[in-house]
Amino acid sequence: MNVPSEHLLYLAAGLFAIGVLGFLIRRNVIVVLMCIELMLNAANLTFLAASRQHSTAQAANLDGPVFAIFVILVAACEAAVGLALIIALFRLKQSVEADSLSEMKG
Amino acid sequence: MGGTWLLWFIPLLPLFGAAACGLIHFATLAAQKGDGSGKRPSALAPLVACAAIAGSLGLSIAAFKELAALPADARVIESAVWEWIHAGSLKLDISLVVDPLSAVMLLVVTGVGFLIHVYSAGYMKGDPGYAKFFAYLNLFVFSMLMLVLSSSLVGLFVGWEGVGLCSYLLIGFWYEKGWPAEAGQKAFIANRVGDASFLIGSFILIKLFGTLDMSDINAAVAGVASDPAKAWWLTVGALCLFGGCTGKSAQLPLFTWLPDAMAGPTPVSALIHAATMVTAGVYLVVRLNPVFAADPAVMTVIGTVGALTALIGGTSAIFQRDIKKVLAYSTVSQLGYMFLGLGSGAFASAIFHLVTHAFFKGLLFLGAGSVIHGMHDEQDMHKMGGLKHHMPKTFATFLAGAAALSGLPLLSGFFSKDEILAHTFAHGGFHQVLWGIGIVTAAITAYYTWRMVALTFFGKERFDHHHVHPHESPAVMWVPLAVLAVLSVFGGVLGLPPVFHVAHQLETWLEPVTAPGKALLAMHGTHTLSHAAEWALLGLGSVIALVFATLGFRAYVGGTARDENVERTKPALADFLVGAWKIDAKYYAVIVYPAKLVAFVTAVFVDQFAIDGLVNGAGGLATATGNRLKILVDGSLKSYALWIGAGAVLLAFLWMFV
Amino acid sequence: MAEILFYVLSALALLTGFGVVLAKSPMMSILSLLGSFFCLAVIYLLAGFQFLAAAQILVYAGAILVLFLFVIMLLNLGDMGVVAERSNSFLDSTAARLGAALAVGLGVIGLVAASKAAFQPAQAEPGKALDGLEAIALQLFGRYSLAFEAASILLLATMVAVIALAKRQRKSGQNPTQNGGRA
Repeated sequence: MNVPSEHLLYLAAGLFAIGVLGFLIRRNVIVVLMCIELMLNAANLTFLAASRQHSTAQAANLDGPVFAIFVILVAACEAAVGLALIIALFRLKQSVEADSLSEMKG
Repeated sequence: MGGTWLLWFIPLLPLFGAAACGLIHFATLAAQKGDGSGKRPSALAPLVACAAIAGSLGLSIAAFKELAALPADARVIESAVWEWIHAGSLKLDISLVVDPLSAVMLLVVTGVGFLIHVYSAGYMKGDPGYAKFFAYLNLFVFSMLMLVLSSSLVGLFVGWEGVGLCSYLLIGFWYEKGWPAEAGQKAFIANRVGDASFLIGSFILIKLFGTLDMSDINAAVAGVASDPAKAWWLTVGALCLFGGCTGKSAQLPLFTWLPDAMAGPTPVSALIHAATMVTAGVYLVVRLNPVFAADPAVMTVIGTVGALTALIGGTSAIFQRDIKKVLAYSTVSQLGYMFLGLGSGAFASAIFHLVTHAFFKGLLFLGAGSVIHGMHDEQDMHKMGGLKHHMPKTFATFLAGAAALSGLPLLSGFFSKDEILAHTFAHGGFHQVLWGIGIVTAAITAYYTWRMVALTFFGKERFDHHHVHPHESPAVMWVPLAVLAVLSVFGGVLGLPPVFHVAHQLETWLEPVTAPGKALLAMHGTHTLSHAAEWALLGLGSVIALVFATLGFRAYVGGTARDENVERTKPALADFLVGAWKIDAKYYAVIVYPAKLVAFVTAVFVDQFAIDGLVNGAGGLATATGNRLKILVDGSLKSYALWIGAGAVLLAFLWMFV
Repeated sequence: MAEILFYVLSALALLTGFGVVLAKSPMMSILSLLGSFFCLAVIYLLAGFQFLAAAQILVYAGAILVLFLFVIMLLNLGDMGVVAERSNSFLDSTAARLGAALAVGLGVIGLVAASKAAFQPAQAEPGKALDGLEAIALQLFGRYSLAFEAASILLLATMVAVIALAKRQRKSGQNPTQNGGRA
């Protein structure tokens, strides 16, 4: 594939912006979590684009992929905890609306 | 000794003793709080403490014998235990070393220390802090032994600070009275000034020599002194170290703490403030003698400070009424003699005087303690008199000590003092002026010593017979006095002058230690006295001592009339001398009161207004800001998300475009 | 050929991404997200990251999205979410408008930043993986071994946290005898 690496970055920026959009405007907390996953994917794409750019034919730069693996791991953890929180929230309020979380102050 | 590791038990035994006595003290407190039945665990404390010191003494004698069996130039026993600090080029081992000098100090510290421990068992009996006292005393001996045995300057400094701490604790032992606590603080602060100087000197030596091991430093001095750029720093370092000595050994300008230190129990004055701790400065100068000997100017400074301190101390003792104050100023004066001797390169003579002084001044303090004990805590000599009938044993031993201190012929103090004066005289030049001061001080010493004897033991009984019943002290107190009296009388055989055609025992023994310093001094010319001159000096010393001792005795044997006469006719002079030349008062005027004023201003204005205002203002600002900003924290997930998003945008914007 | 595929897949990924945000039903969001992830996986493959492409499918599509699906089914949210969103549609609240503005701003900044990076076209080497499995393993167990071990602790902690959070608490009103005293 002979695409310049910045085009990968354009795609990443677009996906990230979409993730932020959903994160900010959606009221369903599950969808908000999904948008976070989308943003994490955009970040992964950035890592890979950088890694691809800094690899040569002789030596591949592996920092990007390794970081991407760690990001995937963190994403999995985050999704698991986030969904557990949603279950707990639903038990408490019978709702998954972000607006129902309005008591997080001291 | 079986192994060099046994060396470690010399300081460790007192340390264990201190720990045990501390536990006994707590046990005593618990028992008192409990049932109040006659059970007194504290009676164990003197046994433990004396046993610990006796063990140290035995090991010290063994070490001394082992050392004496070695050939003269190989008399060093070293026991390295562990590497303390190893950072970069700085290497610091904890190791103990016994050489001829530290062997002498070991014997003095443990020997005199043991006698004073035994004496304290009687003197402190019935004190609520009986066990605590022995804990402190043992801790002091431990620190003093570490000071004497350490091979490195840092180890020495640890001991140096340790003895300072114990001195503070013991001066303020009766802290509930108030003024002993203040005296302890004064001693501690005055010593701190000296210790800062000591530290600076140590830093300079580290920079110059790259090592803290004192034998390495001594070996390298000749090389460093030949480099002009470094020689200057060596001089500064030596002066700074001497500044430390003036603090610990109560020399000008820092001597004012020692007379106040008499607030502590009398055995403490004997052990710490006469026999051992205050001689640490003399020990340090002899230990590092090449460092000081490298520059004759440093030696002159040491000699001058010593001579002036001897004079000021001696004159201040003349009209004191408190028996312990007389002895305290006398100690200042005698320490001045030691430094006078050091300044003339008479290192062995200074150590000789240190040893004899430990004997006779320890004896005099213990004797004074016995008197105070027998007089129900009366220290004013004007309220004593005629005690020789009531306390014959104390009187006899006190007489021996006084004779030695005043330098009556053939007693220990006579030989050691005359040796110092002979060396000073032989050194020539400016040192002959110092010798003149020394001779005057010798006369003053004889005078005030016999004034003290006359006022205390002779004449009319001036105390109130209804309230005070003088009595002889128990055996546990007078036996140590007797031992010290024998030592004070015959201690002179350690160093008979050359005219007697007997080898100077101590000088020969210390030769390996003092040789490097003497070699450095010899580069500026050697000085010897003819036998005739020596006989003349000995004769002069004898005559002066005898004449002024008689004068002092005759003036006061009839009573206190002469003191009252002086106070009436020359009040300014009496006031001046009793106040130690008003040096302390000047310190108060120049340093202490301005410092207190600055502290007060700082406390009231800077602290309360500026700093407290700043701190409280910061708190108030944070509270006010928080009150304004708390509408942002509305508890809603959505608004938090918006803030995070806004922050991300702002940061991204800043990173990309600013 | 591969280039055309990349641009097509990029467009698809963005479209499905919008689908996640705009879908009324959470179910539709998940399906859109799945599509987006698939597109990304193929893009990884095209860029030479074969292992990452596999991991993307297995972990994201296979595990994480299924977890989302489970939760939606467990809570039986199929309709509830739709009803909730409909009651006030997307961009009518101030907060939502602000959010949209922020997202657009961030996207623009990202695009500008990416263009500023001014990369040279990469040295393409068709058919050769940039992330050889052996090389990745060597990195993970060598240079990144500490992070790898920390990750295992993170997973363990997550497991404990999820169990603690999702465990059904006994309601205060319930009769304790019914549960036999079980917490």
